Amino acid sequence: MGWENRERGGRYYTRSRKVDGRVVREYVGSGLIGELAARFDEAEREKRKIEAARVGLERTHVEAFVAPVVELCEVAEVLCHATLVDGGYRRYQGKWRRKRE
Amino acid sequence: MSNKLELSNETKAKLRELRILSDKAEAGEKGARRELRRAIRNSTPEVVAKASDIARKGYKILIGTAAGGDPMMEEALSARLDIMRAQIAGEDPTPLETLLTERVVSCWLLVQLLEALTSAQLQTGEHMKDKRVPDSFLKVILKWQESAQRRYLSAIRELAQVRKLQSGTRGIQYNTQINLRSE
Repeated sequence: MGWENRERGGRYYTRSRKVDGRVVREYVGSGLIGELAARFDEAEREKRKIEAARVGLERTHVEAFVAPVVELCEVAEVLCHATLVDGGYRRYQGKWRRKRE
Repeated sequence: MSNKLELSNETKAKLRELRILSDKAEAGEKGARRELRRAIRNSTPEVVAKASDIARKGYKILIGTAAGGDPMMEEALSARLDIMRAQIAGEDPTPLETLLTERVVSCWLLVQLLEALTSAQLQTGEHMKDKRVPDSFLKVILKWQESAQRRYLSAIRELAQVRKLQSGTRGIQYNTQINLRSE
């Protein structure tokens, strides 16, 4: 995305975007049209950056309260597994069954 | 927000040992079950204590988030969790039952919180204009919610399993008949 310098002089504003996995360049224009499009794109990029930062913060916040529960679950699973195996159980197709002696 | 709730390396090593021995014993390796029993006896009190510590810190974060800074709400939630814990653990729980109870209660609270988050995101109206997260992130929250729900159900199932094992009795099946035909 950006300005291209033409051989005959002058600048031309272009946008690149992906269509079906291929990069397609869209020629927007020169002069005022190009300038407006460039400013609009710049503002959009800024908006996306702010949005990404906000999502990053939200994500950290959610991860902060999910993480201890996940950790607790993992510890409990290990202890539970050990206790059940010790008690003569074994997993059969994801379910605990008592082992035949 | 700080997220330093990790277990110590020593506790992690003990958990690793338990996991390896359980797998060996489950696979029927000779002598592994005896080793496992010894490891459980040696590690359980410490591991349960450390995990309870994590659970306590986790509650603090979960309650703080759910209450949104409202001290009344924090107190109410805290009291609700105490009641739940007492009801689920019952009288004189073993250390493992205590840990599994903490897990059930934590997972329940996490499920509630994630459900509240998603339903807030699915609301419509002007007041949501600046609070809405992108769909990609909403998908992430939904995945977390699904996983929390799975963990919650598995926590209940495992607690029941351990109780059944510890009581040494077979599972009891309740059959309830519901008559749908009107008189």
